[in-house]
Amino acid sequence: MTDDKQATPASADAPIEQQLYAIRQKIQPRAVHGVFANWRIALVLLTQAVYYGLPWLQWDNRQAVLFDLAARKFYIFGLVFWPQDFVYLTGLLILSALALFLFTAVAGRLWCGYVCPQTVYTELFMWVEEWLEGDHLARKKLDKSPWNANKLRRRGLKHLAWIVLALWTGFTFVGYFTPIQTLGAEAASLSLGPWETFWILFYGFATWGNAGFMREQVCKYMCPYARFQSVMFDSDTLTVTYDSSIGEPRGPRSKKTDYKAAGLGTCIDCNVCVQVCPTGIDIRNGLQYECIGCAACIDGCDQIMDKMGYPRGLIRYTTENVVKGKYPDAGIIKHVLRPRTLIYTVLLALIAGAFVYSLATRVPLRVDVVRDRAALSKETDEGMIENVYRLQLINMDGQPHRYTISAQGIDDLEVAAARETTAAPFQTIDIPVSLIADPEELKGRSIEVTFTIQATDDPRIRDEVATKFFNR
Amino acid sequence: MMQRLIHILWPPFLVAGVADILFTTLFDPLEILYRGEPLIEHRIAAYTIGFFVFWLLGIASSMLTCYFQRGADEINRCPLPPRNRPAGCPKREDEDACC
Ligand code: SF4
Ligand code: SF4
Repeated sequence: MTDDKQATPASADAPIEQQLYAIRQKIQPRAVHGVFANWRIALVLLTQAVYYGLPWLQWDNRQAVLFDLAARKFYIFGLVFWPQDFVYLTGLLILSALALFLFTAVAGRLWCGYVCPQTVYTELFMWVEEWLEGDHLARKKLDKSPWNANKLRRRGLKHLAWIVLALWTGFTFVGYFTPIQTLGAEAASLSLGPWETFWILFYGFATWGNAGFMREQVCKYMCPYARFQSVMFDSDTLTVTYDSSIGEPRGPRSKKTDYKAAGLGTCIDCNVCVQVCPTGIDIRNGLQYECIGCAACIDGCDQIMDKMGYPRGLIRYTTENVVKGKYPDAGIIKHVLRPRTLIYTVLLALIAGAFVYSLATRVPLRVDVVRDRAALSKETDEGMIENVYRLQLINMDGQPHRYTISAQGIDDLEVAAARETTAAPFQTIDIPVSLIADPEELKGRSIEVTFTIQATDDPRIRDEVATKFFNR
Repeated sequence: MMQRLIHILWPPFLVAGVADILFTTLFDPLEILYRGEPLIEHRIAAYTIGFFVFWLLGIASSMLTCYFQRGADEINRCPLPPRNRPAGCPKREDEDACC
């Protein structure tokens, strides 16, 4: 933060209370064109093509990516996960977090500016707005105008388009959790289940509200990442920066003036950077947590510089150290490698390696023992002790398998029922198994025993589970 | 007001999401029995209800936080008659605001 920031009354000096209750001014950002705007458009299209398209993709006659909540099975292309695989989800979250840390340390809020759903949907909704209500000036006029037929028609059309977009988004979202083709057929015949309907409306409503109304407030007040991203910043982080060393002193002038001779910087104080900013801040006050790094002000400012015939880059991606004159812009690349980024990279590589390794060597069989508390142990007619268990077996493989069940831990322990079983691909089966032991061999009230489940056709597919055998 | 609403509704929403995911991965809702019958028949219904139960609990907690956060001058009776209260005081226009 620079000292100028302190001088803005609304931010630093105003009592906290007033800030909290200050009425939010509706922001109508001016549209910009330029290199970064094109990047944003490309990324909106790319992320949304993936988001809206992915659930329709098929794989092996099923939906390629489906988090089937009703069946408690997650399909991701060739892989299938069960709730028992929670550790992979955890691993994935850690990986994403580390990747986010790394990107943030290197180049600031790339995530926010280009791919965060909040930014992307706001952008989509603003395209619709610009198309149906005109540019920022027309929209401001429309905001102020009294309700008449024109306003009603424009607003109505806009909301209609927004709602269609939002509902489609909600439908797609639910399509990740229940098979989307069935969902589509149900929606077409108006026979959606109550819970699916609810979630489509709920997610649609959230999209409409967040992208249509809340917009930058989500980033400012609701996003956890926005709150702590600054701890990942250091003086070598690339951020959208106003280079006050060339911009100041700012001031209006005519194009013909030799600004250097007049003692001016290149900032002509046209306020374009403020008008285009979706969060309504003035980047010239220094790095602020409200800035989502969308680079709209870079495009806006570059256009002005071109018009004035000044060099571009008064606002640009650069680092604090460059602005302080510690090294030139060309040195930025060299400073990407620094302890912080190296540590993130090494951690990322290690965890990614472990993740891939454990996925690749995952044994496609999982067995859990469910003990029946009511019937612990009983004596058979022959005077032997019998314990009954329920084995829950998940065949995580795309092939059917036959398994043998054996048990160890007590001499002459016998598996009395279900010594063999079969399971279809990706099937979960429950099998009752009873163990019989000679009371002579039982030392103590409860004895550790181990079940070994072995696929008959593949020696690598085996699982062991430990449980207890109860004496009488 | 908007921001107070956000403070009350939003953190519990995030926590409810996480809690719901953790809870439903640990327990299959169909195995939660009430007198021998599954408490809720459909898994999706159970996840949804679970989410909202967590959310409501969180909202209650956040509301209490906001309630206890009020400073002394917000609770105490204002010694000045309304017209004499300083500009910007939220209770200035409000004749019968006392507490
Ligand atoms: S601040 Fe948060 S919500 Fe806003 S763009 Fe960044 S990540 Fe998205
Ligand atoms: S200051 Fe610039 S980069 Fe930051 S949010 Fe505003 S327009 Fe985007």
